[in-house]
Amino acid sequence: MSTLRTEARVALAIARKDALSELRGRHATVSTLFFAALVLLLFGFALGPDSRRLTEAAPGLLWLAIVFAGLLAVGRLHLVETDDGALEQLALYPIERRAIYAGKALAGSAVMLVLGGVLLPAVAILYGIDLARAVVPLVATLVLGTVGFAAVGTFYAGLTVRMRAREVMLPLLMLPVVAPLLLAAVQATAAALAGDPFGELAGWLQLLVVFDVVMIVAGAATYRFLLEE
Amino acid sequence: MAAAEAGILTMGDTRRVTPWVNLTRSADGRIVARSPPLVTRASSMPQTTIYVSPRSLGAFDTPPPAVVTAELARLFAGYPALAGVSLRVDRGRAIALLGPNGAGKTTLLRILATAIAPSFGRAEVDGLDIVRHPELVRPRVAYLSHATGLYEDLTGAENLAFAATMLGLASPEAEERRAIVLAEVGLEPVAGQRVRAYSAGMRRRLALGRLILAGPSLILLDEPYASLDTEGMQLVDRLLGAWREVGATVLVASHAVERLLDVVDGTVHLEAGIVARIEGVGVTESQPAAGFGEPVTAGAA
Repeated sequence: MSTLRTEARVALAIARKDALSELRGRHATVSTLFFAALVLLLFGFALGPDSRRLTEAAPGLLWLAIVFAGLLAVGRLHLVETDDGALEQLALYPIERRAIYAGKALAGSAVMLVLGGVLLPAVAILYGIDLARAVVPLVATLVLGTVGFAAVGTFYAGLTVRMRAREVMLPLLMLPVVAPLLLAAVQATAAALAGDPFGELAGWLQLLVVFDVVMIVAGAATYRFLLEE
Repeated sequence: MAAAEAGILTMGDTRRVTPWVNLTRSADGRIVARSPPLVTRASSMPQTTIYVSPRSLGAFDTPPPAVVTAELARLFAGYPALAGVSLRVDRGRAIALLGPNGAGKTTLLRILATAIAPSFGRAEVDGLDIVRHPELVRPRVAYLSHATGLYEDLTGAENLAFAATMLGLASPEAEERRAIVLAEVGLEPVAGQRVRAYSAGMRRRLALGRLILAGPSLILLDEPYASLDTEGMQLVDRLLGAWREVGATVLVASHAVERLLDVVDGTVHLEAGIVARIEGVGVTESQPAAGFGEPVTAGAA
């Protein structure tokens, strides 16, 4: 029990440190948000002014924007560790590697939830969607989707952080793995926005839960290998 | 219990005991080391198997050497940065690693810190194999590298608080100790400023503060005088003396040879990844395959 408490304290300290760095380095968070908003806007231009088409495409576009912005966010959370040898120092502390993973994934989830929380209303405004009738399932989808993305992203950001071509390698390695999550999140969002006429929402949410659990367990178990040099 | 107090891991001992280098300032402003009270840290590491030097089993009055390496080598991209170093460093000694650039000083320190694994050979810290049990070695070792390992968007005090949490020091006494450490390294007035605003020397001082906080039994310093002003260099000298006084072992790599010779017990000259010369006391060339412990399962009969 005390071991778990110690690990939880370490994970929370890492998450808090990352959150503080993100808040104080606001330019990075703000530019990520602008990037995501720009993606939504450009998709809107590409699809044309047909409002029905935009409404139908909205769930997919929302999640694509979250994924693109999330790639930048989780990558940055590891990049901050490369400044002045912080990653090496972190690896030398007498702490469990899975606590580092948990802290990083927690910070990644928090940053992505903020991103999702801003992008969801942005989609509603840009594509003319009424969010009010599906708030609870949308929030549940957002939470499950961002946690799963952060769980995968933390692992791959740790894997690529020492690579020279990390900006290319991170999406290249990560996007195929998050494809099931993207599919489930888009379908759950679409079902929620449509009022769940076919009762499929619960199934997609369950898939997201399973994905999250599998990725968190796998990430926590294997993250320690990434810190060895 | 006697063994635990001596800082030696014994069979069946599930605690991790590390000497706490306790520094205070005397009336005339000097840093004074007090005899080290020992603290037991909350550990998150499972300690089912430990590797103990045979010498420490049933012979607690003769603890294993602080560091033993045998034919230690490390290749980078096929080129040897370290090409077979066999050393034995006695406890409580300050040893200087000297040599030109590329001699292997930093590589040796990084291997002993468990930052990188050796390509060949073996090494033990306090009788613990660094490759098999890095998780047991890490609480005993503190490493100051060329990089400071600080977070630029956190303040000096926050950086130290984060390090304290990572080291398992979260009690109110530890908080008080952080304030003392900040004063010791001369950063108290700027503790609330973000590290981004610190000069290179101030960052170095804060990194030294993290080492004091850690209270390890083996301190590895890579160019500790780099970027420091005269007062900062004197701080390093005082810390070296204080660490020796409390029985901690120090390995320091530096090009400040003149300065180091006054404060160390022995020197190891490295050239092209091998030991060229050993001088002074506290360090000798180890016999390969000698002095290494056999794996022992904790609690085994």
